[in-house]
Amino acid sequence: MARKDLLDIASLHREEIEFLLDQSTSFKKLFTRSVKKIPALEGKSVLMLFYEASTRTHSSFEVAAKRLSAEVTNFDVDHSSITKGESVRETIETLQAMRTDYIVVRHGHSGLPGMIARQTTASVINAGDGAHEHPTQALLDAFTIKEKFPDPRGKKVLIIGDILHSRVARSTSTLLQKLGVEVAYLGPGSLVPKYGPATIPRFTDYQAAMAWTPDIVYLLRVQMERQDVQFFPNVREYHRVYGITNSRLAEIRDRGLYIMHPGPVNRGVELCDAVMDYERSLITNQVENGISIRMAVLDWLTPGGNFRGRNRMPRGSEPTQR
Amino acid sequence: MLFLQNARIASENSPVLLESDVLIVEGIIQDIGSNLAIPKGARVIDARGRVLMPAMFDAHVHFRAPGFENKETITTGSEAAINGGITGVVMMPNTRPALDSATSVATVLDNAKRKARIPVYTSGCVTKDRQGKELAEIEGMRTLGVKMLTDDGDTTSDPAVLLRAMQYATEFGMFFASHCEVPELAGPRALNEGVMSYRLGIKGSPTCAEEIIIDRDIRLARAAGAHVHIQHVSSKLGMETIRWWKSRGDVKVTAEVAPHHLMFTDEHIGDYDTNYKMNPPLRTQADCDALLEGLIEGVFDLIATDHAPHTPFEKAQDFVTAPNGITGLDTALVSLYHHFVEPGKFGWDLVVKRYSAEPRRLMGLPVPTIEVGQQAECVLFDTEAETTFTREFMKSKSQNTPFIDQTLKGRVDLVILGPEILLER
Ligand SMILES: [Zn+2]
Repeated sequence: MARKDLLDIASLHREEIEFLLDQSTSFKKLFTRSVKKIPALEGKSVLMLFYEASTRTHSSFEVAAKRLSAEVTNFDVDHSSITKGESVRETIETLQAMRTDYIVVRHGHSGLPGMIARQTTASVINAGDGAHEHPTQALLDAFTIKEKFPDPRGKKVLIIGDILHSRVARSTSTLLQKLGVEVAYLGPGSLVPKYGPATIPRFTDYQAAMAWTPDIVYLLRVQMERQDVQFFPNVREYHRVYGITNSRLAEIRDRGLYIMHPGPVNRGVELCDAVMDYERSLITNQVENGISIRMAVLDWLTPGGNFRGRNRMPRGSEPTQR
Repeated sequence: MLFLQNARIASENSPVLLESDVLIVEGIIQDIGSNLAIPKGARVIDARGRVLMPAMFDAHVHFRAPGFENKETITTGSEAAINGGITGVVMMPNTRPALDSATSVATVLDNAKRKARIPVYTSGCVTKDRQGKELAEIEGMRTLGVKMLTDDGDTTSDPAVLLRAMQYATEFGMFFASHCEVPELAGPRALNEGVMSYRLGIKGSPTCAEEIIIDRDIRLARAAGAHVHIQHVSSKLGMETIRWWKSRGDVKVTAEVAPHHLMFTDEHIGDYDTNYKMNPPLRTQADCDALLEGLIEGVFDLIATDHAPHTPFEKAQDFVTAPNGITGLDTALVSLYHHFVEPGKFGWDLVVKRYSAEPRRLMGLPVPTIEVGQQAECVLFDTEAETTFTREFMKSKSQNTPFIDQTLKGRVDLVILGPEILLER
């Protein structure tokens, strides 16, 4: 049941998700051994193609690939011809010529990893595309939740923040719903789109959202850089209205709720400093689990398999036409 | 001498197709009637079962010349028109250089005369280089026959600039065509704001971006006593806004709708298919339904394709980067037949009225009819045959259309313009 690519959560079947979460459990057991490396991907090459900077996701994939004994290459986006106006299409042809087995790609444009996947034999892993999807983040979130709630069905996760621009919100809520977890959104009216999935309650008021009785509050990173216009007046006001302030942390502690965040945290914006010492914060668990989940994904995908070739490209794109 | 035997004749005035023989001599319709004697030396075409109609006219095309001849030229564009049963077009002025002066318009029209087998008209810019700031050389362009002024591709942002232009140009008998979109609301990506834009993670353009400018530009036209033509309307509320203004009757408004906005929704974009990326974007089924209603009712005076060619290379980029627009000329008539006439949503009379007669009236041109004494400017259309829109079939230089490799019902068999047969299948 292996696939060539991991591009989104939306198209994953529940059994595939369960399989990846189980595999991640096995891989995580390796972490306590003195030799953490296994030869699963020996002789395979993984190309890291990050058009957007991301130390966290980048190094997590790199560590995962190396623990599976793969060879990791960084495609230096900044100094490549991409910045000299070479089209993505030409870059893809270059990548295909390199015959790499895996491409881990992050790009600001939604849908771009899928486009690469359709034109290369490599297994493409979407490490975040625009405001579309971030599937491995969703998987590691689910894995982290299952460590606390082995049967998460009926549990409630409140996702707080910039829903509109967040690929994490999309992927994670899609996946959690597939596992029977209830999801709700909370954020400024300008950042919680009214046309999101009908099955997800949307709150703009913190008290109302807490009355929904979540088990986990999941804070999204406020990404000012994604906002082409102002969506709220300033971060101080954001923190006051939607952030986990000291007094809200007290309430969360009283209720025994877990806190999650995909990182990196804007301290004093999404979360007050005290959250860092909160015993039910799962933020470092998420980071740790990112590695085993990515190992599971790399191990699961089959490069060269199900290669759909150029037939899924927009018509008229054959090289002879150029 | 051409003798079309047993053709079913369509006109804008009657939903009934009358079967007749038609005799064309030296480009003029000489006789119409049943069981006419075949004159000696006439070439006889058995037209039984096929529809003979006045040829179409497209009031909104992009031929990309000058400046983007890699996408389309006046020659390839006009051949695509003929291929689709169209014998006249109005080009949009968003070329490079933009058509904002008598000099640039003169060059284009001169080219068109030499390189196209059909009349090619052009609109002119409202503002210099379509920047929305200084007025274009309006009267200079008028002397060359330009009637339509538009900054198509963009809205003329500053209402004061547009109002002045309207006040000025109306004196010369010119009218305005409006591309309606508030850029600050629409964002750079051509995708409807809604469930689909959320799912794909791309900033969408809300329909209010269109509604606001439709309303604004009609109000400006009313204030200036100008005629405004609303281009490629995509939304239900946009249609209703025009309907309301038309019902008041105190401002001259016309409007057009593009075939693709009647046929496709944002759902068709599916897995980021750039052949469905256009501006204004594809909306929802409710919008499609309302646009069809508006077309039948007459809120939309005419159909125009917004034929917008782009190279395969450009369209093969990811959805966010790829340019907006699809080609429409090769496919327009067949797709309208397939989607609407064949299933009985509207009749041939509506096709003739909205895609042949009204666009010519908008441009102040004579309207061809299938009547004795008229110049033959007509299309013979086979309703039983099919057309497969292969790459080889298309005459446009670009093939960025969702119809590529699709087979639709209907076929343009013959295109006649005066003494010339422009196309014969
Ligand atoms: Zn336009």
